[in-house]
Amino acid sequence: MTDAIQKLEKKKSLLQLDARTRTRNAAETRFKAYGIIAIAFGLLMLAILVFNIVTRGAGAYQQTFIALEVELLAGKLDKKGNRNLDDIKKVSTFGYTPLLSNALEAKVAELGIETDLKAKKMVGILSKSAAAKVRDYVLNNPNKIGETVGFEFLASSRVDGYLKGRVSRDSIGNDKNISPAQLDLVDALKAEDSLAKHFNMSFITGSDASDARPEAAGMGTSMIGSFFMMLVVLVLALPIGVAASIYLEEFAPKNWITDIIEVNISNLAAVPSIVFGILGLAVFINYMHLPNSAPLVGGLVLTLMTLPTIIISTRASLKAVPPSIRDAALGVGASKMQSVFHHVLPLAAPGILTGTIIGLAQALGETAPLLLIGMVGFIASNPPDSIATGLLSPNSAMPAQIYEWAKRADPAFYERAWGGIIILLVFLVTMNTIAVILRRRFERRW
Amino acid sequence: MNDKNIMESHMGTTAIKISARDVQVYYGDNYAIKDVSIDIEDKTVTAFIGPSGCGKSTFLRCLNRMNDTIDICKVTGSIRIDDEDIYDRRVDPVQLRAKVGMVFQKPNPFPKSIYDNVAYGPRIHGLAQNKADLDDIVESALRRGAIWNEVKDRLQSPGTGLSGGQQQRLCIARAVATEPEVLLMDEPCSALDPIATAQVEELIDELRQSFSVVIVTHSMQQAARVSQKTAFFHLGNMVEYGETGQIFTTPQDPRTESYITGRIG
Repeated sequence: MTDAIQKLEKKKSLLQLDARTRTRNAAETRFKAYGIIAIAFGLLMLAILVFNIVTRGAGAYQQTFIALEVELLAGKLDKKGNRNLDDIKKVSTFGYTPLLSNALEAKVAELGIETDLKAKKMVGILSKSAAAKVRDYVLNNPNKIGETVGFEFLASSRVDGYLKGRVSRDSIGNDKNISPAQLDLVDALKAEDSLAKHFNMSFITGSDASDARPEAAGMGTSMIGSFFMMLVVLVLALPIGVAASIYLEEFAPKNWITDIIEVNISNLAAVPSIVFGILGLAVFINYMHLPNSAPLVGGLVLTLMTLPTIIISTRASLKAVPPSIRDAALGVGASKMQSVFHHVLPLAAPGILTGTIIGLAQALGETAPLLLIGMVGFIASNPPDSIATGLLSPNSAMPAQIYEWAKRADPAFYERAWGGIIILLVFLVTMNTIAVILRRRFERRW
Repeated sequence: MNDKNIMESHMGTTAIKISARDVQVYYGDNYAIKDVSIDIEDKTVTAFIGPSGCGKSTFLRCLNRMNDTIDICKVTGSIRIDDEDIYDRRVDPVQLRAKVGMVFQKPNPFPKSIYDNVAYGPRIHGLAQNKADLDDIVESALRRGAIWNEVKDRLQSPGTGLSGGQQQRLCIARAVATEPEVLLMDEPCSALDPIATAQVEELIDELRQSFSVVIVTHSMQQAARVSQKTAFFHLGNMVEYGETGQIFTTPQDPRTESYITGRIG
């Protein structure tokens, strides 16, 4: 009887936590807190990154423009007066500069702005690309010679920087490119609304520009370079990668040779990309004599780099197809190949596509191998006119272009580097979003 | 069931469809099937029973060379179907599997429409000349799979959307659509509820008129219900083979008796 009573007293109430449960619960709470802290830290870093990129890069999309009425003096541009295009071409951009200074002087006089600057100095607030712009226009419309045409010119990078707050009167002490008097003129023009900042499409479509005129530099040509490289990567890496994975996963015997191949593919995925770059330099350029700096070579190098990624993700998605599907196909008398191509591959396709897109996104952002095959440097070529020239003529790629700008001294280029990163990130985010959508859309259907 | 069939099976005049002699199967170092010799009759349901891991499924998969897909599996001995050695070097397993259909343990319809599930086999074997032909084949296969009435209005809906029992009957329909002569069934009811099981068992009995059916089952009641002949496997050996009634009532081997009375398993 007493035993029974003691036992009853020992019985624990469910309403009270015992010490053990309390420690366990505390550990769980702590663990959750660590997780939340880690995620919050990650999100904070991401927010800082995005904030930095946007605040520093947004400036590249806004550029200062000056509107001018330029009189295309026939006496300067076409001395013979017969509108012969060959003769007109003989006039270099230097020949156009007086037209610009005349136009600017006229504008200043018209607005009644007082300045001590000579017309020759006034032109300094215009971009060096302004004369080229007029020349291009004249060459395309020779019949306009003699008339007065309205243009909108880029302001020089110093003027642009002044309006964006990057350049101030104090900071230009020894700068030969701009003087306080020119800044006064800029202020006066701005007050008259003749000079304003607005969206600059040529940053997205244009090509790189020389050190002297950062305001004219754009991402367009390097985007085309990246596009052709991605074309090469897609055309080569996807079929080769998928074929290799199907063979390894479905057909190859499991023995030590395939084991070694498997291990090496995994290792290749971890090889630093610069190694692929030097391989490309040695094999594609020095041995096979493919042209330097060509997107074809860049694409080949990036193909090598992307293949392991595609093979690994393709094999994973083939593995994820349940064996019962293969059995079912073989059971009704399908051959191995029919079972793979009719049933396994379609089911693995979303995974393969996802892997491919992620591989492409990786390749798109890759810079190091491009340094070695010469796809970095000042490449201000015009957009290619055919696929062949697009593949073979020298070009840059988006990340290489960003690197190129970032290492130049002028802070105006630095701003463009950040602006370029925004474009690159937009591409990467778009590609990854497509990958996520594909994965969602074609989720496992078995 | 027609009378002639019953007569034949009772009088023991049915032809031998599959004849296996001294079959050994190795999975790497694992000796899975030891010296199995068996004659399987045409137009008969033959059940393989035995505890888990006894090799009955392995032996079944030898009959249509599904074991070929496993690299480490090695089969010796001879298995003859209609007196042709199916392990002969000239035999293409793909042709063999068209002749020896298989239904698996887990219903495994393709993630395609019901119609495409059934039409796949006839398509790859070129059994239909045109669309109308194919429609006929699909319909008759679904009828033989005893599922036509349930799916005839939704042939284009996905096969994976059916219930478990319907999926398994769809798989049976898919297997019979290629006009096989032997139908192998690897525990076809183990994933099904009792009602679906009853439907499939009924179906098996009907299929016996056209095919030689070999069924692996864990359920001794099922073996007793559907089969005419039963083989008992134990630890890779075929211990006993005979008329189903005789195996369950008067087993010759003490191991068979222990198993069917529930002492080993």
